[in-house]
Amino acid sequence: MSAVAGMVGPVLGLVLGLVQHDPLYSHGVGWFVWVVDAVKVLVAFAVLLVAVMLMIWFERKLISDMQSRIGPNRAGPWGLLQTMADGIKLFFKEDLLPERADRFVFKLAPYLSLVPALLIFSVVPVGGIISIAGHPFELQVADPPIGILLVLAMSSIAVYGVMLAGWSSGSKYPLLGSVRASAQMISYEAALGITVVTVALITGSLSTRAIVESQATGVWDWNVVRLGVVPFVLFFMAITAELTRPPFDLTEAESELVGGFHTEYSSLRFALFFLAEFMNVITMSAVMVTLFFGGPDGPVPHLPSFSIWFPVVWFVGKVMVFLFTYVWLRAALPRLRYDQLMNLGWKFLIPISLGWLLLVAGFVVDGWWGLGIALGAVALSGLLTRAFAIGRNRDEERGRLAAAAPAPAAQVATAARPGLVRAGDGPDEGTAG
Amino acid sequence: MVDRNAVEQYLPVVLLLALGVVFAAASFLASSLLGPRKKPTGAKVAPYECGIVPDREPPSRFPVRFYLVAMIFIIFDIEIVFLYPFAVVFRQLRVFGLVEVLVFALVVFVAFLFLVSNGALNWGPGKRLQPGLSGRSSESTIARIGAGPDEPGRAA
Repeated sequence: MSAVAGMVGPVLGLVLGLVQHDPLYSHGVGWFVWVVDAVKVLVAFAVLLVAVMLMIWFERKLISDMQSRIGPNRAGPWGLLQTMADGIKLFFKEDLLPERADRFVFKLAPYLSLVPALLIFSVVPVGGIISIAGHPFELQVADPPIGILLVLAMSSIAVYGVMLAGWSSGSKYPLLGSVRASAQMISYEAALGITVVTVALITGSLSTRAIVESQATGVWDWNVVRLGVVPFVLFFMAITAELTRPPFDLTEAESELVGGFHTEYSSLRFALFFLAEFMNVITMSAVMVTLFFGGPDGPVPHLPSFSIWFPVVWFVGKVMVFLFTYVWLRAALPRLRYDQLMNLGWKFLIPISLGWLLLVAGFVVDGWWGLGIALGAVALSGLLTRAFAIGRNRDEERGRLAAAAPAPAAQVATAARPGLVRAGDGPDEGTAG
Repeated sequence: MVDRNAVEQYLPVVLLLALGVVFAAASFLASSLLGPRKKPTGAKVAPYECGIVPDREPPSRFPVRFYLVAMIFIIFDIEIVFLYPFAVVFRQLRVFGLVEVLVFALVVFVAFLFLVSNGALNWGPGKRLQPGLSGRSSESTIARIGAGPDEPGRAA
């Protein structure tokens, strides 16, 4: 800890020195902007923490209602403070470092999980534009021109947090969980990226503020309607898998992997993973509202002093719908099998999202182009179905060959320790070469 | 949109990043001050296991499919990287941009067809063509682990 504290001073000095010589900084930043930004950041941070606290309570309470249980009801009214009590308890718990762990990476991983979850929220517009002392400010932490790319970048960095946490634990359940999680996250990131391109295409900008403003003319201009419902459905499935929420929660399948990638984490390190997980659920719901449901857009009555806050209410209401949906999915759906998960991601979401992107592009140019692309997509999907059939046959062919002439290694193992070799092992090895 | 220079656009993001790191570091510090500081026993720091003593290292080899998925992902990720600039300037490019991206998507699609028809994206064992292990039954299992009633000595 002291080594880290000793490094902070020189690193900070270096960063400040670089910033001062940066040509982009030549105009400087007025103190007023500093103050407003600091306030925005602090408010966003506090709101997120409280939202996570309430979300965990909301999920536990709703799940218990759906399962005819009572749920948390002791700490605070209706158990509202249960999450805070759990968090405070974790402060006082023993912080274990497994003996086989890679100490540095083990300590680094919670940061890599928490910080991206926070940063994603910074580009989400939560309301309209307000004016403070003549300066206009958006109700949004930051509005960089690459807004939506920041979301994708941060969700990619979150994969590192999961992967490194599992790898550095030096234990088998976290390792298995993290390898599964990384494969799952990158598989669905492709479909996720393509559906976001569809939104960027119709908007012509990557800024989240521009995306929201282009939908602000009414419900019929919300992207969920404007793009056809398909991109939203694909995005929702992909983001659920990206969040490793049920039914895609194979990475922490309790019955087989104990706790998934954070099995070896205890005390506050575990708490931060938990915090990041729920923060991601909230921020990704907010991103979904921004991309497809017009963000803070909604009818605003003409009440002079409240009209600023109505968009915020709309935004929160829309996000709540998705938070409810996530809990509902967890209560209602059984977990997928890993091969089903991979098939859904690679064989359905990616081709459909790519085809729909081209379809939207075609219809933006003109109707005949769109029609032509639609016909082409139907023809190519026939080709794709045939390719799937060939792939399946090839797998079966390999299985048959392996069954007819078993690989020598598998044969020895079978002879030596009967019962340890699964029937699937033969064909599996055949496809590796 | 509010007009801003580049630093003003990204300043809040940097501030939030710093706040996040400081929050996490401060939490760890508080936890290390508040939590028990006795030296943990050997069983506590051992890798997690359900009631048995682990006798082998965690696996360092993984099914090759995980690596394959990572490599295939790169193909699609690169495709997506090229799609973003296209999407932003599409309104200006119109038909030219559309034709270009159709050709590009077709090339990637052919690669995808090849992968799929090769079985590269099939996960896990397909159909079970061997019916388990031949000659294996509940009797053989009982005999193997030595828990049968006719072998009382080995069961103990």
